[in-house]
Parts: sequence; C-alpha cells; structure tokens
Amino acid sequence: MEIDRSLIGSVGEPFTVEVEKGAIAKFAAAIGDPNPVFHDLEEARAQGYPGIIAPPTFPVSFNPPEEPVWTRDLDRRRILAGEQSFHYERPIVAGDVLTCRTHFIDVQDKEGRSGRMELLLQEVRGRDGDGALVFTHRKTTIYRAAKGRG
Amino acid sequence: MPDEVRRFDEVAEGDVFNLTKDPVTTRQLVMYAGASGDYNRIHYDQPFAIEAGLGGVIAHGMLTMGFAGQAVTTWAGPGALVRDISGRFLTPVRPGDSVRFDGHVTRKFEAGGQRCCELEVTGHVEDKQVFAGGAVVALAR
Repeated sequence: MEIDRSLIGSVGEPFTVEVEKGAIAKFAAAIGDPNPVFHDLEEARAQGYPGIIAPPTFPVSFNPPEEPVWTRDLDRRRILAGEQSFHYERPIVAGDVLTCRTHFIDVQDKEGRSGRMELLLQEVRGRDGDGALVFTHRKTTIYRAAKGRG
Repeated sequence: MPDEVRRFDEVAEGDVFNLTKDPVTTRQLVMYAGASGDYNRIHYDQPFAIEAGLGGVIAHGMLTMGFAGQAVTTWAGPGALVRDISGRFLTPVRPGDSVRFDGHVTRKFEAGGQRCCELEVTGHVEDKQVFAGGAVVALAR
C-alpha cells in the first residue's frame, strides 16, 4: 500500500479536543518535565498564564477518532516520524475546547540511506470556540518503501 | 525548574544553555505511548520492532522533541510563550540512551509587541547527533 497522491489537498473531518489538565500532567510526566505550569494552577497563574498550560509538543496527542483516509491503510512498521513543527498564536490552556482538522498538504519522494521513501506532509490546525486559530502542527511522516521494492 | 524570569535585555545572541535527560526507559516509552496516543508497536514491542528492521524498540521521535521543548521552556523561564518549535530526528533514540540538549540564542527581535528570542537546539547521545531543532520564544519581560 503506497500513499494515494490523488488525495493531496484533502481535509479531514473536524474533531473536537477537550484539553484536560490530567492529560497535560500525564504528557509532561512521560517527558519527565517537572515544570509546575503543567500541573499547578496557582503557579501557572502566578506566572501570568490564564491556567495550566500544555507543553509545546502537546498537540501531537490530538488524534482524530478515525484516521484520515489517506493514512488509514498504511503499514505501521514502515512509518517513522520526520520533521515536526508547532506554531502558536497563544498557549494551549487546560479547559480549552479546540476544533481540529487535518490537512493533507503534499507527498515528496526521497532517497534515504536505507532506501526509497515517501515524505507525507500534513498540518493539523486547531481553533478555539470563537474560531480563532490557536496552533498549527505541521508534520512530515516518513513512509519507508516496502522490503524488496523500490 | 525555572524560577527566575528571563529578561530580554539581559539575553545576548550566542548565549548558550543545555539540558541532559535521564536515560530513556521502556516504561517511559509506554507512558509516552499512552499520553500521546501513539501506540505504534515499534516503541514497546521488541519482536515487532526487530521484524520491522529497526534492531529493537526505538523512542518516539516526538518524545525526543518533548525533551527539547523542556530545554527551551526551562531556559525561557516563567511567563514566557513558545511561538514556534520545530525539530527533526536524525538517529533513533533507544532505551538506555541519555540525550543531552545544547541550545543557543541565534537572534533577538521584537514583533507584535513581543520580545522574542530565536533558539537553535541540538540533541546528542554521546557523540551521535539524534535531533536538530529550533524555537522562537517570547520572553515575559
């Protein structure tokens, strides 16, 4: 199964993420980051934030209930994370309700050390209840060629 | 733990910072799988990861970038805002690896009333580079 390039430009179904303080705390704990702004409301407010904030890579946990059609049938063993970037208009705060959509931007071919690969470019854009853009998560996924091919 | 506010006027281009993380554990990869929702078995299922040609389980690239985020937000200090953070993964990180992050200030600028610092961050396991990234933070003062 290779990536279906006819779907470039597609946008996934919107999905809603309720940003929970427990989810933020678990994410920070997995990283091993003890910064109190990720779990202590009083400390976060004392530092000038409107509430408990999320670590800057937190939107990686915003997964749609159903995978977009363009990644649904890909072989998990061939998938590796490539370049990732997050742009923020403001920090994500516990209690935010964000509406997210995944945009299928492009596919590029690349010849790597371990053989041929496809680079899948996607963006997840998250907006708050007022429709204001909060974050953009741009991600490149490396899809290695199947063994014995390419 | 950041406890001192970092002041824009006291930052200079070329300033450096670093963070050395404890060795990654398989338990941590399971925690990160749960916290991030990335349950790809290459991160905790040893036979599966070997069959996939990876030589054993590897850390989530985004865990490594999470460490880089910690390096950045710790340096930026209380009240700072991360405007941008990016990174790419050069070599897989494996359980037992301790990643050291080195950062430096590449540029200072003011934009939209925010006092911003552009940072470059690299991650190494011993002499091997595993991560290359950058960030833009708006400082509190």
